[in-house]
Amino acid sequence: MKNLIAFFALALPVSAVQAQEGQLVTFVTCPIYRDTDFGRKSGCWLAEDPNTGQRWDVTLSPYKPDWNYAVLVEGRVSDAAPDACGAPVLDTVRTSRLYDTPCPAHMLPAEGYPGREYKLQGRYINPIAVPRDVPPGPYEERVFTLYFEFNQDFLVYQYDDYLMDKAATWLAAAQPRKVVVTGYAATDEREVTGHVLSEEASIAQGRADAVALSLSRLLPELEIEVRTQLGAQTTDDPDADNIPGQSQRRAEIRALFHD
Amino acid sequence: MTTSPSRIALFASVVALTAAVAQAQGEPDRWWSPGEDRVFPTQLEYENEHGTLRILRTGDPLEVQDHPFFRPLGPSGRACVTCHQPADSMSLAAETARERWEVTGGSDPLFAAYDGSNCPLLPQDDPASHSLLLDHGLIRIERPWPVTRWHESEVEPDFTIEVVRDPNGCNSGPTYGPENGRISVYRRPRPVANVKYLLAVGFPFDPKQGLALPRDPRTGDLLSGNLMADGRVSTLRGQMTDAGRTHLELLRELSDAEIDEITRFEKELFVAQQSSRTGGALDTLGATGGPARLRDSEPGALGSIGEPVWSEFAAWENLTAQNAPELSAEELAFRQSVARGARVFREKMFLITDSAGINSPMGFGNPVRNSCVFCHNMTQMGNDVAPGQVDLGTTTLPFADPNPELPMFRITCHGDPHPHYGREILTTDPGFALTTGRCADVGKITLQSLRGLPARAPYFSNGLAADLEEVVDYYERRYNIGYTQQERQDLVNLMSVL
Repeated sequence: MKNLIAFFALALPVSAVQAQEGQLVTFVTCPIYRDTDFGRKSGCWLAEDPNTGQRWDVTLSPYKPDWNYAVLVEGRVSDAAPDACGAPVLDTVRTSRLYDTPCPAHMLPAEGYPGREYKLQGRYINPIAVPRDVPPGPYEERVFTLYFEFNQDFLVYQYDDYLMDKAATWLAAAQPRKVVVTGYAATDEREVTGHVLSEEASIAQGRADAVALSLSRLLPELEIEVRTQLGAQTTDDPDADNIPGQSQRRAEIRALFHD
Repeated sequence: MTTSPSRIALFASVVALTAAVAQAQGEPDRWWSPGEDRVFPTQLEYENEHGTLRILRTGDPLEVQDHPFFRPLGPSGRACVTCHQPADSMSLAAETARERWEVTGGSDPLFAAYDGSNCPLLPQDDPASHSLLLDHGLIRIERPWPVTRWHESEVEPDFTIEVVRDPNGCNSGPTYGPENGRISVYRRPRPVANVKYLLAVGFPFDPKQGLALPRDPRTGDLLSGNLMADGRVSTLRGQMTDAGRTHLELLRELSDAEIDEITRFEKELFVAQQSSRTGGALDTLGATGGPARLRDSEPGALGSIGEPVWSEFAAWENLTAQNAPELSAEELAFRQSVARGARVFREKMFLITDSAGINSPMGFGNPVRNSCVFCHNMTQMGNDVAPGQVDLGTTTLPFADPNPELPMFRITCHGDPHPHYGREILTTDPGFALTTGRCADVGKITLQSLRGLPARAPYFSNGLAADLEEVVDYYERRYNIGYTQQERQDLVNLMSVL
């Protein structure tokens, strides 16, 4: 069966196989869950681009779909073989849940695909009992950035907690005079496969507040000023993983040492 | 299930038999009454249906008569121990409540009108007025509404509550109900033992809230968030203060000295099943069951990156008639089953769907494939290393089992709809949402520790599972897991030795 599927994959629309490695693809669609079983968290998420008919493996997103809702897919075409889930792989990739767009839940059987074995890697934090390395000085003005799902202000597990832990460890050592937390929202409209998308302005405040509250809990002595910025523009910060939309959906922690 | 005279009579027979067996075995009195002149030893053991529960206490034997955990502090004559009985893993089994009704004719302070009955408005000498406690082990919990504050933040609820069904009278009328700022829900008392594990902080973040953990304003310590079913307080001090004002009906605050004494006592207790009626001693042939290891270990470890959950029984995976000739065939089979049950607990994967606290708002996906240890992930305890507020559907339609004795509320979400239930939700207990004021938290209940399970039926916060078999059966119904009969029995046997 798997070989048969691989054969048909070779006969996909031209637009699919022409996608270049590293090319950014962005679309809105209903996600499909493929019930692969390679242990915990090993299920596959697939998403079909309505512009091209190409089905992609979007499983590597740090925030995964809900099969009851559409997703905004933003990802880079990789050269990875479609062995794990039965579709070409987007890596890096983001799948933001669009809770105002319901979808029929759809599950495919594994059909011989193994899925991916879950391995702890990349952006995760150590238990609190593990001492953090003290980052070396000299300490000077510095910005840490956290990233969010579309129109959400929720700190993402094994993404933002890692970035926040890194920031808090540095701030604890550097002891700046204060930090300015700025929440951004991508409020400028953009059309994605027929959907006009923009983040709510209030989400900028929500992001700033979530980051400021977390910082105040981790570092109770820290002086924190909160700001917001609408119409967020893209950045080239590596932690946004070369996804322009992800770089817009952010909050920044700026450590200041002087008036 | 309802409480009837014949049911009471049946339990009277069981009680008499159990008491006779216990006395013949030299077991200490099972029931600890407030103000008794007794000594709490460093080791206590009580028989239960599945074997023997052991309670270890660090420190010296304790005269309890004047100890604030055991002393009646309020007008009802209740003490902490009333609902946190040693023989019941420092919780309260429904069977014990029925026994007390039989022995005292309902006059025990356990049946105080305030919360030991379905509602104070009901005739208190009628056992039917106490059916939730007698049949399901449930205590009435009265929550203020609307909630206005949680941790350091002001709260404005994003949902409203209507009462759809009020079978007991404590959610309607001129004094009760949401219009009067008083919501009654019914929950099982949680065990006050193995407390260092419940207070342990594994990581500085709460992935379910998307925030760093809050701190105790008194001590500055990060808070585990694993103490109360609805997370309304996060410290032992807060729990005691809450319990003093409500369950003990105190007209004063507990003093610092009383709180310190109770805290010390609770932190000294370690409870677990010590031996199995079928399998024998749980700390032999390589196994490390029982409470001693709990007492001696560091709390808060995540099983997936350290010692796997329930690996206490891993050595029994390799038992055979040849290498364990001292075991009877029945003992051997049971121990092998327990070891398999531990693996089923960790390794039997299923699709977890539409469960807030798992499938939302975190990014695990809906559905996500995992096993029991996804949430029951703390080594040696089986509670959640992260704050464990999860909606298993035990209190919320369509997943909750019918229980017409419980109130039913209609939640209407005015902000974003609930990601899995929509804008209107029917629930018998909104759970964590009564604390946070958020529609997205409706139905979330803090995960329990699994130690001492055999001594404290029924299970889940609303007592929906009468026994360990029904626990497995609920999960099977909820998530369509596909347990085989053997796997079901292995899980039951595992839980019976925790």
